[in-house]
Amino acid sequence: MILRRLAARPVLLAAGLLVALALPWLIYPPVAMDMVCWALFAVAVDLLLGFTGLLSFGHAAFWGSSAYLTGLIALHSGLPFPVAVLGGALAAAVLAVPIGWLSVRRTGIYFAMVTLAFAQLVYFVANQWRGLTGGENGLQGIPRDFFGVDLSDPFFFYYAGLPIAVLGLWFAWRVVRSPFGRVLVAVRDNPARARALGYPVDRYKLLAFVLSAGLSGLAGGLFTMGHGFVSLEEVYWTTSGQVVMMVVLGGIGTLWGGVLGAVLIVELGDYLSTAGFEETGIVTGTVFALTVLVFRRGIWGTAAWLTAGRRERAADGATVPVGERENGEPVRA
Amino acid sequence: MRTYRRTAALAAGVALVTAGCNGGPGGGGGKISDGKIEIAVLNDQSGVYADLSGKASVEAVKMAIADFKAKYGGKAVAKKIEVTTADHQNKPEVASSKAQELYDRQRADIILDVPTSSAALAVAGVAKSKKKIFMDIGAGTTALEGAQCNKYTFHYGYNTYMLAHGTGDTITQDGAKNWYIIYPDYAFGQDMTKSFSAAIKGAGGTIVKNDPTPFPSDNFSTFLLKAPGLNPKPQVLGAMQAGGDLVNLVKQYNEYGLRKKGIGLAVGLMFLTDIHSVGPDALAGTKFSDAWYWNASPDNRAWADRFLAKTGKRPTFAHAANYSAALQYLEAVQRAGTDKSDAVVKQLEGYKFGDVFAKNGTIRAQDHLLLHDAYLAQVKPSAEVKEPWDYEKILKTIPADQAFQQPDAACGL
Repeated sequence: MILRRLAARPVLLAAGLLVALALPWLIYPPVAMDMVCWALFAVAVDLLLGFTGLLSFGHAAFWGSSAYLTGLIALHSGLPFPVAVLGGALAAAVLAVPIGWLSVRRTGIYFAMVTLAFAQLVYFVANQWRGLTGGENGLQGIPRDFFGVDLSDPFFFYYAGLPIAVLGLWFAWRVVRSPFGRVLVAVRDNPARARALGYPVDRYKLLAFVLSAGLSGLAGGLFTMGHGFVSLEEVYWTTSGQVVMMVVLGGIGTLWGGVLGAVLIVELGDYLSTAGFEETGIVTGTVFALTVLVFRRGIWGTAAWLTAGRRERAADGATVPVGERENGEPVRA
Repeated sequence: MRTYRRTAALAAGVALVTAGCNGGPGGGGGKISDGKIEIAVLNDQSGVYADLSGKASVEAVKMAIADFKAKYGGKAVAKKIEVTTADHQNKPEVASSKAQELYDRQRADIILDVPTSSAALAVAGVAKSKKKIFMDIGAGTTALEGAQCNKYTFHYGYNTYMLAHGTGDTITQDGAKNWYIIYPDYAFGQDMTKSFSAAIKGAGGTIVKNDPTPFPSDNFSTFLLKAPGLNPKPQVLGAMQAGGDLVNLVKQYNEYGLRKKGIGLAVGLMFLTDIHSVGPDALAGTKFSDAWYWNASPDNRAWADRFLAKTGKRPTFAHAANYSAALQYLEAVQRAGTDKSDAVVKQLEGYKFGDVFAKNGTIRAQDHLLLHDAYLAQVKPSAEVKEPWDYEKILKTIPADQAFQQPDAACGL
């Protein structure tokens, strides 16, 4: 919001899109595609974590189940890839209804644990249902077809997949800026008051959960098409952990911070794999620890805080409609 | 907004056109693309498989290049042969993007190693679409030469069938008819159990019981306590666990004194480095299949000495297989006179040879599986270990034509 007040928003938006378009020129196209998918996933998780205050530790279930379904649709039906991806996203949203319905009754660490448990359930189903999912070998040879156009070159596929991701990002942004999004923030900051004002808190949470899962599914489906295979890793808990890490790195509750976090983590992983450095975990872990210790608002949050004028910074907590969280940390929407 | 949109469209347009120009392998020039042969080793360099293959395999490949150059000298098909490497962290996504990058950017002519079945299958898909050669060494899945086989993918070294049959057949034929199998409940464990059961039954034995164990797990006491009470009493405990699980299982097997109770131990997959990390006494007497052992013959030993000088440790079979795969690839390029994939594949298919790793080797044309002699090995007690890394006693050689399965009909090469 501060950035908009500075009239920087259109410039930032244009710059962001330009970078997105130029990305496969700057880095290797399949890696660029990974960044886009993880960025959408991170934004979807931030929708729930940053704007509804629910830390899900089980979003791999939605990313992964969509990945499998997208793969199966593309493998067996030969439909164009956007249809497969949308089918996967829809399935993820449907799966989120019962899981969300049961999970949103709890908050905080309990919510995280319940979602983790459901995600592990999905993981075991995927592992055991070998006839369908291929077990730990996964699904291979998923075609990338778009009405007869062969998109097997990752460079072209990047431009074919990017619009879907951008639509997903736009949707997330639209949700956050809608009256519905405002209610979510109210639910996050003071659920008792939101309830007193007559909002059915659990139903709002559930809808946010389902939307977030659907967007995660969109990202997961796109990721599958980008690689041409699905592996068991997509539904493993480390995937849930990785995306939360991206959001925290970029800045919780900033929406676009997730994009930065995703780009950074994916690039780091890619760079380290050829850097000849043996302990990749130590590097990513150190970056994460430093960010959490030094930039508690995450990259985007810190940048926004720094670019905002001192007066705005001081007035921040009062004027920003999002308000303050329990720990007194002002949150920007 | 409109201006932006036009710019975006223009950018996208330019992108598409230029990509079209860049695409495709470099035409023209000599018979060797880019004037050099680039060998890429893609494996785990930081995780659980880093020890048994990892960076030392890059050294093994360098040895192959040196040997090739020494053999052909000025007549070598390419003056410049380079090796490049990447860490796939055992993640199939990383493996697939790295494989694409190695083929496209680093201009790799071949990718070697790739442990972890899912990662190997992902790279096989990349090799197929890029029409570049891939020789898998580190992964055990038979899907590589079965349903997922393709023209450019070779499986070089071992597979689950080889592991199961060497051990299962031989031990049963040697008189231990009753087996109790415990396996980790995931694809590798299930595959291994299926192969082992077939091998044991084929040799006239019986499976008293087979039990899935949780994976990963560090407590196997339920299964170990149950073993002596089974009816009929099993003579062998077949353990399909690998890595850290195997280490725990073996320790508990010893603690419960099952060997003294007349129940031997057979292990599905074990590497020299596993024995090295647990110590030979914990595993003494255990029988298992090995694709190669460094101290089995004088020429193995000579090669292992060179490897020791470079890396400070003795080679596992994966190291030797990487050496052999690189060498046989270079030989095939030499015979073909070009590094064009199709011509090299033609040279590799059906090729019969022998080298330090592959004894009586044949690259089967039907499914691109390397057939070679395999071994039934037994871990020595520390009293018999005469020098560092001297852990194995080779009990028996399993001839190349019996060590591996018949071609799978699912592979339509």
